[in-house]
Amino acid sequence: MKVTNSVVFKLRALILVLATLLPVGFTSHSIHAQFLHPKIKSKETTIRTVVVFHAKVNLVRDSMKGPEGMAAESDELSMRVEKMIAEVFSKQKNVTTLSPPSAPSGQGDSQPNYNVADFQTKFDDLLPKIMKKRSDVKKGRFTMGDEVLNLNLEKSTDAIVFIRGEGKKLTGGKTAFTLLVGGVPAYLRLQIGIVDARNGDVLLYTDPIFTGDPTTAVDRLRKALEKGFKKLPAAQPRP
Amino acid sequence: MAQKKTAPVESTPPPIREEFKFGKIDLEVFEQSDLLDSKFERDGLVLHDEPANAYLRRIGLSLVPKGFDLERVSWNFRMLRDPQPNAFALPNGSIYVTTGLIFLIDNESQLAAIIAHEMTHVMRRHTYVQNRSNRKKFLTMNIMAAIGTYAPGGIVGAVITIVTAVAPFILMATVYGYSQDLERDADLKGVDMMISAEYSPEEMVNVIKLLDKDIEGENIRLFYNDHPSLKERIKYLSSYLGARADRMTHQMELNRERAAYFKTMEPVMRHNLQLSIMAGRFRSAVFHAQRLVDFHPDSENLFWLAEAYRTLGPRSSQLTEKELTNSAKKDAAKKRQKRTLEEEEQELLATPAGKDNWQGHQQKAEEFYLRALNAENPVPVVHRGLGMLYEKLGRANDAASEYEKYIELAPTAIDRERIKRRIEALRRT
Repeated sequence: MKVTNSVVFKLRALILVLATLLPVGFTSHSIHAQFLHPKIKSKETTIRTVVVFHAKVNLVRDSMKGPEGMAAESDELSMRVEKMIAEVFSKQKNVTTLSPPSAPSGQGDSQPNYNVADFQTKFDDLLPKIMKKRSDVKKGRFTMGDEVLNLNLEKSTDAIVFIRGEGKKLTGGKTAFTLLVGGVPAYLRLQIGIVDARNGDVLLYTDPIFTGDPTTAVDRLRKALEKGFKKLPAAQPRP
Repeated sequence: MAQKKTAPVESTPPPIREEFKFGKIDLEVFEQSDLLDSKFERDGLVLHDEPANAYLRRIGLSLVPKGFDLERVSWNFRMLRDPQPNAFALPNGSIYVTTGLIFLIDNESQLAAIIAHEMTHVMRRHTYVQNRSNRKKFLTMNIMAAIGTYAPGGIVGAVITIVTAVAPFILMATVYGYSQDLERDADLKGVDMMISAEYSPEEMVNVIKLLDKDIEGENIRLFYNDHPSLKERIKYLSSYLGARADRMTHQMELNRERAAYFKTMEPVMRHNLQLSIMAGRFRSAVFHAQRLVDFHPDSENLFWLAEAYRTLGPRSSQLTEKELTNSAKKDAAKKRQKRTLEEEEQELLATPAGKDNWQGHQQKAEEFYLRALNAENPVPVVHRGLGMLYEKLGRANDAASEYEKYIELAPTAIDRERIKRRIEALRRT
């Protein structure tokens, strides 16, 4: 049988999906890995004030007929993750969260909007490299460069938080099918990067995962985030 | 403006799928399309350049058959801030053309060819048709999940991430290409629409050839992935056009059309150069900046050519034949996933060829920056560029002086803080 490129592509895609998602199915409620830049570890840099950029968390509803987009739920969850990170920072790390630069509405100057979009894109570009070798964050290998200063954030801002994530919610039928036959359960996986607002260095990378319905498992999300930032030292008040 | 032909052209029947009836699934897809439009806008991916938008709209509307009215279709033509050449249509009538594609093509007729192709997908309800078919294929669903997980980085990645989140089925059909039959349909009906609107139909073939240009050695043409092969497309389009040979446009007309196209799209092209450099597409930046300089030599375009050469650094300006083989491209793609741009530069600088390239490109960059200072209406950013060049060359004082000139001439520049810090650091050394 002649194996065409298209078949090879399909098989590879299938293997990739299984390789990524199967481990989630075999884990307990959550996994946490955290990698800190040496400057954070040595306390040369302290994070007291952050700006949390808009999270991009994508949810998919998996039914017996295949995946369906969940745009509204994804937006809602993205906002929830942003808020929850701000809460965790405030309560456990003494870190203040400031509002991100606002995008102008209407037909005004689009440049600030482009500027923020371009930084989000720049992080998207860097993220696969970080994920390939997360432990290199500990060597201070990754940076977004001093272009971060172009964002003109408030002077007191120490770091910028970038949040990405993907999750899956199962329909009733698919849940039953998964229980009977096996398969990937509902889950949420986040990728969070904290970047120095003055020189662009990646100061922390963490990627909490938990199983359960991402739209309703609020407590699991909070716990996953708390554990995800466990190694980040709490800030002392400014001298 | 395009030089339209004066002879009336016989109108072909509008390529519309009149018999289409909306079902629940189709209505969901329709709603998702509207959501996608607003998400692209909200995430800063849509380019707002009023003259260019008006131009795009005019071309698009000129292609719509007279008396055309299709349920749940409202035509909108937008540019996406994406340096990778691509175009796609949502079933609600939103046509997206990337700035990378705007830059790649040569004239209005070629842009019309792209738009006509995409409009046919809408008119023939291809997204809905393909969606209905895809839902029956289990393997397709798994592929869609993989696409969401393994979207490429950069702005193309941003587009795919958004589409995946809102409508995975739309992603599969619209973004990754329809079945070969539907693509062929769009090519041929697109030619008909071009003729009806009095555009040069042979430009459909030329634009397909341009889309095959692989300057970056990536050859990941996402929105054209499943299209029939290039040779096949050229063959059937040429055969289809054979009977319409009398409608071939004179080269002079096309040249005039090209000049008008470049004049209107020049700001978009400059914006795209910035995006290309930011996305690490340095070879494309050099190639396109040179085209802009050829079109309008004594202008800001010289600054962009200088920027392109400075950021190209130790890389070669063109890929060799060996580097354009499939296996070499695969290796390069793997390396891109692992290495940062800075690491790539360091590696290249350790080689004699890399050093030679670096030296040559920095010299060219300086030459073009200095020419840009003497061009009509010199822009302050030239000093910033020179500052960055001198900083890299270890000429700290020269770099600081250029940065200071920049801050003086552009005191409200968005990057003033960054440059001020650089000046401080340079003055300390």
